Amino acid sequence: MSNPTMRSSDLVSAAGAKRPTKADVVIIGNGALGMFLADELIERQVGSVVVVGPSNRDTGASQAAGAMLGCFGETTTESLRTDAARTRFELGISAHDKWPEALRRLDEFKPSDRPLQTTTESHIILNSVGAELDTVNFAAIIDALDQYDKPWKEVDPTDIPGYNPRTESRALRAIHLPTEGAVDARGVLASLERRLRHGGAILLDQTVRRLVGSDEAVTGVELDDGHLIEAGAVVVAAGIHSESLVRTVFDVPDLMPTFPGLGFAMIAKRTGGEPFTSVVRTPNRGFACGLHVVPQGGGLEYYGATNRLVNTISSVTWMADVRFLAQYSMQQLDERAAIHEVTKWCSGNRPVTLDGFPLVGWMPPSGLYLMTGTYRDGFHCAPLLAEHVANELQGKSGIIDSIFQPMRKPVATRTMEWSIDEYVTHSLAAWFETGAQAAPQMTTSQLTDYYRNMAVQTYEQLGVDYGLGPDILWYAQGNLHGARRVARFLRTFKGDGDVAQPAGATTGTGGTR
Amino acid sequence: MPAYQPSVADTVRSLVTKQLNLNGYSQDLRPDDNLWSLGMTSLTCLGLMLSIEDTFEIELPEEALKEATFRSINTISAAVESSRK
Ligand SMILES: Cc1cc2nc3c(=O)[nH]c(=O)nc-3n(C[C@H](O)[C@H](O)[C@H](O)COP(=O)(O)OP(=O)(O)OC[C@H]3O[C@@H](n4cnc5c(N)ncnc54)[C@H](O)[C@@H]3O)c2cc1C
Repeated sequence: MSNPTMRSSDLVSAAGAKRPTKADVVIIGNGALGMFLADELIERQVGSVVVVGPSNRDTGASQAAGAMLGCFGETTTESLRTDAARTRFELGISAHDKWPEALRRLDEFKPSDRPLQTTTESHIILNSVGAELDTVNFAAIIDALDQYDKPWKEVDPTDIPGYNPRTESRALRAIHLPTEGAVDARGVLASLERRLRHGGAILLDQTVRRLVGSDEAVTGVELDDGHLIEAGAVVVAAGIHSESLVRTVFDVPDLMPTFPGLGFAMIAKRTGGEPFTSVVRTPNRGFACGLHVVPQGGGLEYYGATNRLVNTISSVTWMADVRFLAQYSMQQLDERAAIHEVTKWCSGNRPVTLDGFPLVGWMPPSGLYLMTGTYRDGFHCAPLLAEHVANELQGKSGIIDSIFQPMRKPVATRTMEWSIDEYVTHSLAAWFETGAQAAPQMTTSQLTDYYRNMAVQTYEQLGVDYGLGPDILWYAQGNLHGARRVARFLRTFKGDGDVAQPAGATTGTGGTR
Repeated sequence: MPAYQPSVADTVRSLVTKQLNLNGYSQDLRPDDNLWSLGMTSLTCLGLMLSIEDTFEIELPEEALKEATFRSINTISAAVESSRK
């Protein structure tokens, strides 16, 4: 397979031209991935760069993100259990090291006096609201910190600045991570825009309707109004919209499906009490990313976040999610949040792949590159992925593992039995977290049996032999559309020994520490 | 009643019988009986949908992926017929 790489002789002088008809690289998508990639390409002065994406970034994940620069805070019992998962985890560790330079570049372009990095530290709390899953993930975080020799210390939860939960939801344990903070996602995106314009990139406030070319070669893009741009390389970085764009030229059954992980968060102005000065969060929770508050600067705080896999990409918010987030922020983080003033409702779609791993690499049609599938830490990984993709576009070697190649079989990290157990654990966690009530005589083991039966039956009906993650299993079980996509894709590999592997599967080249 | 090939309805009947474990009662199943009242759940409906698509080698349109489509042998057969056109 040959893919065009950029040569200086190919340079097209697009600067100044509002609507170029040619560019060395067209990046589709103006989220964190597309914007950091454009920035890296401009920094390397490798040619003309056009970024296409609507300025409101509606339905995008990056504009809604909490932008915690978290990798240890995100650890779960799954993170280091298999080589493949470890490889994914270490992507986060490498990404962390890229942020000081990324922020240094952006600092002079920030849109206001507010710092882009809003905090450099995190506190992880363990309260009893989140069921057993919280406990095991809390232990997994500490274990990972120790394995990688990262600093942490146990602290008295009452000493965490700003932390003021209701008594019945108070944390019994907490740890302090002095090197894991957060950035202001919206500030970073605005700074990137300014820096890109300054550097000569062209940002088009439009959408791409389709890729131009065939399943053998992609030669450009067609915008929503029919305008064509010819390109040496087209990078699809359109988040949850990426798959459908790729399918405009390359509609094959074994292209990994991505599902919208619709998430909701809100930004509120603190009206009193001691502010949070660090990220304060629970471990990752049932099907989601845990409850957290992220200081935003200027008296603002970000409260997040929900996650539900849905059929349709939209920027709606479920009333249940509003209740969930508001109620639990007040109960579990700061009871004074009740009178904070909500200044922004954030809603966006995480790009969730069927196997949970990102999709980054050249596609079979030459000239077409895909970068998406980052799920819940794509903001954090963006500067690292930008460097990797810029290398590959220039024909140099990449800096991340080849496991993330987009045209792969789904990465197998669990057996069916493991998948069922995990689904049960997540379902129980979600049950208790949301305050669901059962008749007093109904025990947790009866609830366990109920969820186990659901999972077993779902697999029977789907007729697949690949161990799904708990979120995907929940989604497939809940609707016909989702089930069909999951079943159709997995059936293209059915009976293929490479896909279903036992727990401890050793795909990828995760470190051996 | 929509005009459809009897063979479609027969095939649908046998898939429904198998999926809902109605063996032995298959003859009593009328074409417009409500399958949801006969014990079909969202999960068994999921399996039924996949087996219908596999058997008839069709892809039901997105708008057909809803409870009402799978209400009875009649409604399923109608959906199959229109997908085959
Ligand atoms: C509520 C929430 C909280 C999160 N918190 C964190 C966090 O704390 N830390 C973290 O690292 N990650 C977090 N994430 C995940 C993170 O946001 C994503 O992994 C990452 O932002 C994905 O970036 P992206 O650029 O691939 O996609 P997106 O941000 O979705 O960007 C894609 C862009 O493409 C544009 N687009 C779509 N279609 C087209 C088209 N046809 N033509 C042109 N442009 C198009 C969209 O408008 C959008 O702006 C969170 C996500 C959500 C939803």
